Amino acid sequence: MYYQLINFGDEEFYAYPNKSLYWKRLNTLIISDLHIGKSISYAKNKQFLPPYDTKEILNELFVSLDKIKPSNLIIVGDLLHDIFSTLSLKDQDHKNIGQYMENTDFIWIKGNHDRNIQIEGFKNFTNYEIDKFLFTHIPIETHLFQICGHYHPKVKIIHRGKTIFKTSFVHNEKILILPSFGILTGGLDINSKEISNVLGKKNLNIYPVGQDKVYKL
Amino acid sequence: MNINKSNPLLLHPLNKWMKKKKWSWFPHQIETFRYVRTGSDVVVFAPTGAGKTLTGFINPIDDLTKLKKFKGLHTLYISPLKSLANDIVRNLEKPIKELDLNISFQVRTGDTTPYKKQKQKQKPPNILITTPESLALLNSYENAKEFFHNLKYIIIDEIHTFLDNKRADLLSLNIERLQTFSPNLQRIGLSATLKNKQDAKKWLCRKKPKIVSYENSVLPKIKILQSKERIPWSGHMATYSINEIYKEIMKSKLTIIFVNTRAQAEYMFKNLWLINKKKLKIAVHHGSLEKNLRLKVENNLSKGLVDCVVATSSLELGLDYGDVEKIIQVGAPKGINRLLQRVGRSNHNLNTPSKAILVPTNRFEFIEAKAAIEEIKKNNLDKIDLKEGSFDVVAQHIFATACAGQFDINDLYVEIIKAYPYKNLNFSDFKELINLIQDGGYVLKNYDQFKRIFQLRENKNIYKLVNRRETRKYRMNVGTIIENPMLKIKLGTKTLGNIEEVFIQNLSQGDSFIFAGQVLEFQSMKNNLVQVKRSKSLISKIPSYSGGRMPLSTNLANSVRALLAKSNMRELYPDQITEWLTRQKNISKIPKKDEYLVEQFPRKKNFYTVIYTFVGWHANQTLGFLLLRGFKEFNYKPLGFVANDYAIVLWSLKEVKEIKTILNLGLLDKHLDNYLEETSIVKRLFRDNAIISCLIERRLPGMEKTGKQVLFSSDLIYTVLKKNEPDHILLKSSYEDAKKNMIDYDRLREILKKIDKKIILKKLTSISPLAVPIILEINRENLSKKETDEYILEDLENEILKEANVLSIN
Repeated sequence: MYYQLINFGDEEFYAYPNKSLYWKRLNTLIISDLHIGKSISYAKNKQFLPPYDTKEILNELFVSLDKIKPSNLIIVGDLLHDIFSTLSLKDQDHKNIGQYMENTDFIWIKGNHDRNIQIEGFKNFTNYEIDKFLFTHIPIETHLFQICGHYHPKVKIIHRGKTIFKTSFVHNEKILILPSFGILTGGLDINSKEISNVLGKKNLNIYPVGQDKVYKL
Repeated sequence: MNINKSNPLLLHPLNKWMKKKKWSWFPHQIETFRYVRTGSDVVVFAPTGAGKTLTGFINPIDDLTKLKKFKGLHTLYISPLKSLANDIVRNLEKPIKELDLNISFQVRTGDTTPYKKQKQKQKPPNILITTPESLALLNSYENAKEFFHNLKYIIIDEIHTFLDNKRADLLSLNIERLQTFSPNLQRIGLSATLKNKQDAKKWLCRKKPKIVSYENSVLPKIKILQSKERIPWSGHMATYSINEIYKEIMKSKLTIIFVNTRAQAEYMFKNLWLINKKKLKIAVHHGSLEKNLRLKVENNLSKGLVDCVVATSSLELGLDYGDVEKIIQVGAPKGINRLLQRVGRSNHNLNTPSKAILVPTNRFEFIEAKAAIEEIKKNNLDKIDLKEGSFDVVAQHIFATACAGQFDINDLYVEIIKAYPYKNLNFSDFKELINLIQDGGYVLKNYDQFKRIFQLRENKNIYKLVNRRETRKYRMNVGTIIENPMLKIKLGTKTLGNIEEVFIQNLSQGDSFIFAGQVLEFQSMKNNLVQVKRSKSLISKIPSYSGGRMPLSTNLANSVRALLAKSNMRELYPDQITEWLTRQKNISKIPKKDEYLVEQFPRKKNFYTVIYTFVGWHANQTLGFLLLRGFKEFNYKPLGFVANDYAIVLWSLKEVKEIKTILNLGLLDKHLDNYLEETSIVKRLFRDNAIISCLIERRLPGMEKTGKQVLFSSDLIYTVLKKNEPDHILLKSSYEDAKKNMIDYDRLREILKKIDKKIILKKLTSISPLAVPIILEINRENLSKKETDEYILEDLENEILKEANVLSIN
């Protein structure tokens, strides 16, 4: 898999076009905002999105796990969209996840969407510290480097009079935000107030995710 | 024979009023009255000024006065435009008030206040004037049957504007619903003159179908502006002739300038103001302007308080707006019917000809304008192609039906296939559309507990809405017109209108642009509001509205080809056009009526192939993409293409040697599917389909969803669906729409069938005069929006002309 090197907190991370981040030194894969079961949760409001999101997200995840065989998988929040989402996890899905758990340590950090949900066999945390890094869904006041999710950042690119939006990895000196690993999830402009409040507007490193490649702006 | 004796209208309640006005009944009004009275459904074809609207109301008014105090709704009048509906009320008011007839009438459109709508439901007027969307809404209420059960007539005005689009599909389904409610309902259609009258009849009429037709013998006086200026090779803004246009406005009491796009309207308006030394009252009117601004212009127009209005198709239809003396059409006419409709807006008097001036904005348009005038002289009108109805509209109709109450799917199916556009709808597709409304219609049955409609346990044919809250969602999403995502523009607290989100995205704070005729500075965007302030900036952008590219009619395209082939150029054109064409004749060739000229030449390291097809932009765009693929296959290393209504130009790294082998029907069969897969056409249509079928919502109750969000989630749905369920009914529906509308499949097929035998290939050493306009478009498309100022274009133009060695033509 092609990857883009991201230097953050004196460590090297690989950003993959499937929107996952890999910390090679510790053989750790990091993903965020899967929002599994978003379709079913929308269906309860009679918005009938195609019910294939859970299947596709898990497939993508399993492919990654097969290839990388990480020791740890850190999910920085919003693994599930809401309580209804658990309906979309079938027995076979649980079985498959269980098998991967034998070789990989699953670390599920709770996000605002799945704060009150439990899944059997999943260890969950409000945040998680490794060395000088803190893994958390939404950044907090701390001296540590933070890797988080929540915002689904995307960048607006104007080129030759055309405007496009691209899902992105983005970080400043202290905080790195992952894009959403989900497939029916939207995005938030990096210039929006919400993200600016966290990262500021200057000295941002932005990595738009393309079809088969992560770019660097 | 004494006509008076045989004229039954002499006893009509309106006869007294007609006499007072010194008007007499038209033969087609007498004929219509007779047919309708004896139970026929009728389509009336007549030009503007021939009392068309009155024709529709003759039978209803006769009935209503005879019935005395008829309680409830008697006649429904469907108008294609809100503004037209208001106009009808104004005109109906006059005779009814003057004669003191006891007939109530009201208008109901999206602009009617909720309070008034509520009152109308409780106490319906005798005559209700409304739009197809408002009718669909009325039919979705639980008491729809009661509301309509006494309905005697439905009048469809300007029916020719409905026939070939999704609004027609929606309307046809709702007319059949009314017929179910009130089996005795009679239908009256009013239309401008059409080539294929029988098709309109088939679309509308069920009971003893009849056509009534009235042809005007007075031809309109249309001429092309005799400009002393140089007509540009390319461009669409008519800047060259602005002073001459101004002089024409001064000469007439009241002028309407029609343009083809909203951007052109703003541009023309701005340029007229810049030279408005006589302080003429000039206004602008287009669909994006706030309702109040539009109404103000319409009012001033009907009272004759303005000297000139610059308008788009928003003012194309309707009754008299005061004494419009002259029409100026700026830009290509695009179709005979459209031009006639526009020209007909001047001088609403049958015995004096309408007057119009055409202002071509570039050289090809000059030929098109000339061709259009010739065809009008011959009364050779465009044909309107009736199409199979779209699936998404049926889905919306199913949802509406469920909102009105439980229904039997077999009854509904039988009703739907009575509508002409759906006569071929098969039951299995229909059932899939039921499923689509039920739970999205996916193969994977994941949503059993979340259905929108469900089957009764005791009778599986009966479906019922799960929850009354859903009716609100339907009502917020009714209709078939999907505008591009729009944002409201606020100047202080005043709303000026709507602007495309895409346009705003390309602006930075402090940039200025022109809207509603004012120069505005972009300040901020919050939620769905764009805050602006007045600006004095001289450099400003004009919002472009990506929708609404008008197709060139086949009829007019053929006549352009025929005209171009004529050798008596000096009689037909001004000197500059003649010289242009003469030079083309000497350097390359002017194609004969049935020939397809292909020119090839090297230019700036690349190799250019220009094909003059005259099939319109849609078909040319498709052909361009197909040829790109064809060229790739032959390893010519194509780099890009640009299409307009008349031609396509492709450029490649290598010389294209086998054009005759590539350009044929095989190209279409081989590459079309791939093309549809790759371009965003189907994806974009999928968004419309998903919204129209109510799979996703354009607005949620209490919360505006921004256009961006709609676009985003529909793209995601499209991608996921295509991967997992390529046979889903909405994908099928989007493909059908693409074939019908966006790629002009049938038209392209017709051409490609015969093209290979008729290609005239010219290998040139440099660009030909005929190719200059399309080559100029390449540079335009590749320029950033900031740079597409006319001045820069002119600059570019000179550069290319030098290259073509034709500078002396000027």
